[in-house]
Amino acid sequence: MRRLLAVATLAGLATTALAAQDPGQTVHPFDKKTGGSASMHMIGHVVTHPGAWKLADVEMEQDPSRPYVYVSGFTNFDMQIYDVRNPSQPKKIYDWTIENPELHRGIGAMDGKYFKIGNKYYYAQSYQFMQGSPDKDLGAVIFDVTGLPDPSKVKVVARIRYPQSPGGFHNTFAYKHSDGRVLYFATVNEPYALVYDLDKVVSGADSSTWLVGKVPNPTPFKQIGTGGYHDFYVGYDPATHRDEFYGAGLGGYSTWDVTHPEAPKQIFTITGLGLDIAHTFTPSPDGHYAVTETEYQYTPLKIWDLSEGQSGKTKNLDLPISGWTADWRDLSHNHEVRWPYVFVSAYEDGMQVFDLKDPKNPKTDGYYFTCGCVHEHGFGGTPDNGWESTVSVEQGAFGVDVRNYDGLIALSDMRTGLWLFRMDGFKGWNGHDFGMPNISSVQDYDHGPEGAPARAASSASAASTHQTHGNQ
Amino acid sequence: MILEKVGLSIGGRLSVAVVVTMLAGPTGPFDIPLFATPSVPAARGVARLVYASSPFGVAVTADGRARYDVQVTASGLPAPAKLGAFNSYVAWEVTPDLDKWVRLGTITNGKSTVGQAELNKFLFVITAEADSTASKHAGPTVLHGTSPSGWLQSFLTHPLFRGVY
Repeated sequence: MRRLLAVATLAGLATTALAAQDPGQTVHPFDKKTGGSASMHMIGHVVTHPGAWKLADVEMEQDPSRPYVYVSGFTNFDMQIYDVRNPSQPKKIYDWTIENPELHRGIGAMDGKYFKIGNKYYYAQSYQFMQGSPDKDLGAVIFDVTGLPDPSKVKVVARIRYPQSPGGFHNTFAYKHSDGRVLYFATVNEPYALVYDLDKVVSGADSSTWLVGKVPNPTPFKQIGTGGYHDFYVGYDPATHRDEFYGAGLGGYSTWDVTHPEAPKQIFTITGLGLDIAHTFTPSPDGHYAVTETEYQYTPLKIWDLSEGQSGKTKNLDLPISGWTADWRDLSHNHEVRWPYVFVSAYEDGMQVFDLKDPKNPKTDGYYFTCGCVHEHGFGGTPDNGWESTVSVEQGAFGVDVRNYDGLIALSDMRTGLWLFRMDGFKGWNGHDFGMPNISSVQDYDHGPEGAPARAASSASAASTHQTHGNQ
Repeated sequence: MILEKVGLSIGGRLSVAVVVTMLAGPTGPFDIPLFATPSVPAARGVARLVYASSPFGVAVTADGRARYDVQVTASGLPAPAKLGAFNSYVAWEVTPDLDKWVRLGTITNGKSTVGQAELNKFLFVITAEADSTASKHAGPTVLHGTSPSGWLQSFLTHPLFRGVY
């Protein structure tokens, strides 16, 4: 009888585990996963650095005339630019490292965002250095990259520092606001997100005028009752004509109307069980659905129907409508939504794509394992032990980006470097093809967000003039 | 458990623990672990801040900052000439913004005492130099650390509270 019970229990556990997985997928062996699905084609791969740790995030320009990919060199403290006009042979054309890198301590170059003001292109590299290290107050270094592919024309034009709270910027988001400004949202070790006016930053205006707003964090890390955001997304809602901020606040998620970023207005929150270390929050183009991540092993990405929060019917949501994970034993990390597709940098599980054609039943569309790493030997500890851990699953695919005009996918792997992919059936993305606004993390710097009043575009050309005259 | 079996008292066990801790490396509020750089990855070192000699018990500057001799124990440093046109290793105290470098003296493998360090928070940096008396640093860094006063860190800056990565 006892043996029968044991068998029944084991069978039950196995059933539960499989139910947490996309039923179309089998679970791969833990260690050194390799290869991929037939639908996912690896185009290019660059081992970007020597050593155990290579990259944090990745950013890809969206203008067809500018085939550039930027990678954040993580504990190598550098940023690199690749020319991917031939994606099968990415060519490194620029590499910049913080001055005196050997004297710095911290996790270094984390997140990069490109942006355009007038006719000039820029790249903002976020940094995080520990207290006691040089540049502990450095948040970001801003480069003028207009002259690419000529590396001699790349110049550092500004550094954003925030000495009030050492530790730098972990995540950032460059946003073309409906009022025409290009804003830079940044995390910081304080209970809010910072909002900078990038035109003021790059034009040499007095640095005391750069910071134009702060978005409070109403869902801080529960155990300490305070703390800032981990990550966020900002997008325009053509239906309500609001610029909306979607923040992951470590203890839950919150949305804010940042139409006037100097005075954000809270819309609704997502809190509840299992939302500790709320990490990433990305809505669908119309703000109806959202994908969220919580940063601990075994947790799936969660899918939410936001409609009752957006409409004001409720002030808090606490029940997701579905979930997805690449492998329930691991952790899926950052993601980019190109509705109905969700492109995921899934740590040990590499490049993953699932779709929300039926939001209550997410389906895996393709994958490619990029890490080839030993399970649970991820990032952790301190610089003194080489950041190596024997419990962490935080290694492998860190960041992902998608080029809307042709569907090229770029992925940064903490262990193996830069990867480029194409997926069968995905030749690019325009929201209109799916009955959605053409709104994603990709910004239309020339015209402003779709559906916004014309002032965004007119402000863009004003900014262009502004830049030409160098007047601020 | 093993110490109990060999019959050491609690006091004896504490003494052993202190000795083991000292041998294991710097741990106290006056100790600076030194880290190697790619120039000399095999280099190792520790530094200890010791109050400089003073007739008043505690050595301070006129404006009240503590003055320390820095006792350095280093190993694994090759002859400076192996790194290029250098003839000595020089220790510096450096402001955290890297703006001000103050020469403290020369060091070798084994024990050296340099100083006096007088900054509140500082980086302790050892470089290879062509001139052991140089007042400006020019050569590669071989070892570096942070004064204990520079370790103070906001609780929220710990990676755990950043939502990890």
